[in-house]
Amino acid sequence: MATLKGIPVSAGISIGRAFFLNRSGAGPLPRQTLPEALVGPELARLDRAFEQFGLEIEQARERIPAELREHALILDSHMMILKDPKLSGVAKRYVQSLGINAEWALDKAVADLEKAFEALDDPYFRDRIQDVRTVAGRVQARLAGQTAETRAIESRVVLMAHDVSPADTASLQTDKIMALVTVQGGKTSHTGILARTLGIPAVVGVTQLEREVRDGDLVVVDGLRGVVVLSPSEDELARLSDLKYQFEAYQAGIMRGCHLPGETIDGYRLKVKANIEMLDEVPTVVTNGGEGIGLYRTEYSYMNRAKLPTEDELYQEYLDLATIMSPRRVTLRTLDAGADKFVSTLGALDERNPALGLRAIRLCMHHPDIFKTQLRAILRASVAGNISVMFPMISGLREIRQAKAMLAEARAELRQEGQRFDTELPVGIMMELPSAVMIAEVLAREVDFFSIGTNDLIQYSLGIDRTNRYVSHMYQPLHPAVVRSIKHVVDAAHQAGIEVSLCGEMASDPFCVPILMGMQIDCISLTPQAIPGIKRIIRQATMDDCKILLKLVLESPSVTRTNALVQETIFRQFPDELMFYSSLLDREETPTH
Amino acid sequence: MQAPTTGVDDILAANDGYRLRVRVLNEQGLHARPAARLSQEAQKFGCSIHLRHDGEAVDAKSILDILTMAAGHGSELELHADGPDALEALRHLRALFHNRFR
Repeated sequence: MATLKGIPVSAGISIGRAFFLNRSGAGPLPRQTLPEALVGPELARLDRAFEQFGLEIEQARERIPAELREHALILDSHMMILKDPKLSGVAKRYVQSLGINAEWALDKAVADLEKAFEALDDPYFRDRIQDVRTVAGRVQARLAGQTAETRAIESRVVLMAHDVSPADTASLQTDKIMALVTVQGGKTSHTGILARTLGIPAVVGVTQLEREVRDGDLVVVDGLRGVVVLSPSEDELARLSDLKYQFEAYQAGIMRGCHLPGETIDGYRLKVKANIEMLDEVPTVVTNGGEGIGLYRTEYSYMNRAKLPTEDELYQEYLDLATIMSPRRVTLRTLDAGADKFVSTLGALDERNPALGLRAIRLCMHHPDIFKTQLRAILRASVAGNISVMFPMISGLREIRQAKAMLAEARAELRQEGQRFDTELPVGIMMELPSAVMIAEVLAREVDFFSIGTNDLIQYSLGIDRTNRYVSHMYQPLHPAVVRSIKHVVDAAHQAGIEVSLCGEMASDPFCVPILMGMQIDCISLTPQAIPGIKRIIRQATMDDCKILLKLVLESPSVTRTNALVQETIFRQFPDELMFYSSLLDREETPTH
Repeated sequence: MQAPTTGVDDILAANDGYRLRVRVLNEQGLHARPAARLSQEAQKFGCSIHLRHDGEAVDAKSILDILTMAAGHGSELELHADGPDALEALRHLRALFHNRFR
């Protein structure tokens, strides 16, 4: 028995026979120097290989099935790389100036690019050298006289390949594949996207694959740990089958249980809602057991277009959303543009410090016409009866009163026009600025509910831009200042008898949710994909444990101590949950722990 | 009400063509797909188009140049176009940046 290590990019475990889609080409790369007379023909041969692969990409794009459309987009980047003179032009120059064969020249051109990509700090961009290698690999195959044809697959197999290019996906018999394993590829490679779309495990970057595995070998692909087990022993096979069963049971279990209420063993009830920005996401919310929309980001309609949306367009969008979700409640957040999100027609402002500039409610008050249009649309849609509205980035009393005055103006206009609306429309605010937190008792008297936006609250409390790689490690959701701020807001809301919800990423973090529960928060709102897993954690918790954990966290003087404490506790209380939960999350947005 | 005057998003005439400062709105920065779109669209124009990021200028018609520039979310770039259709090119590319290359 041997184990090959790789990078897990799609969760799950499959046991089956290996089937090679392609190998990295037979034998080592030919390296020759050419007599001058052959340089011209060699250049033509290289051109032809590039052209051939270009044609194959075109054809693949036409044949690609609808559910794999994502790959059609990746084909575009492969096409652009193929046409880029930084690859083909440089390779041709090597043929010309050094008098070497096309294969060698192309290899050198790739090596040049490897140096440029290796120097990049950002792993995503560094990983894009994989796309260059894929393209160059295919051109090498054409040079070697191979064609793009793939062998027909007879029965269900574990598909192995040097790499799976988007051009291949068009001809893949996806129903016959139970797992994917490739030599090439990194965390963000499209093999992962493909496998997750198909719902099968995948491991990439298995460098030893072609040397160690033959067609027909029995293998186990463990997409949880990122390993491929070769000729497993009886014991190992039994253990992995067990794990496979556990994982599938976990997956089925969270999906089965996701429609049950978010309630602890000892009867504490926590509403679990979804954060979304588009109507398309509603089906996922419903299948995953979302009990409403805790945050509907309304920016999308403003950013994707040449003109501002009209009142009627917005009205229709909000009404559709409310109708589909009915009777579940839908909370619309008014336009939260500025900083890193811009309204197309307004463009980006020249601000030295956009995060502290004209954004969210401030931008809306600066453009009362835009704000009023949105408020009128929200009010009109509120006839559905299940809409709430909230204002982002409130720093103090004056802003709430201004926003509410604007809402009252919109109401008066609509009344005059004879339009109907929900006269009891609940009005809330986002609690995401330290100033608002400090005066939470005062603000609670002004509104019907609070929603704590932890992403911004953490950024503004700690003074950390988490997209800034020099300081992002200091972005700490469990910093004592953050935990105390949240506790303060929850207590202030409850004293005033209003509901308090939390809609930042902390709501989908299994390390944070039990602490929030200890505070007796009323509702959390999170990305729809994470709802089943989080609900299961809630349903296995007890309020007593959550309160004990919260007490320890509040007593902890430092974030280091808190993190250690929380991890130890959560791993002890929910071992299975954690092992599987994190592997189901999208790899690009793994939690900060 | 008028938006405050800008510095980003205005096309400025320079003695060697036109310049435009833009911000990368895509969450993952100028990654594979936006980079493909950008180079594809830039190639439709006859003028030369360069991108400057952190002082380094690259060819906007080359996807590999764009990728190795590694422009992350929120980074500010300067586009410089020179040639008969330079103004039109910058207007076109500005819309692409705004719409996050969708």
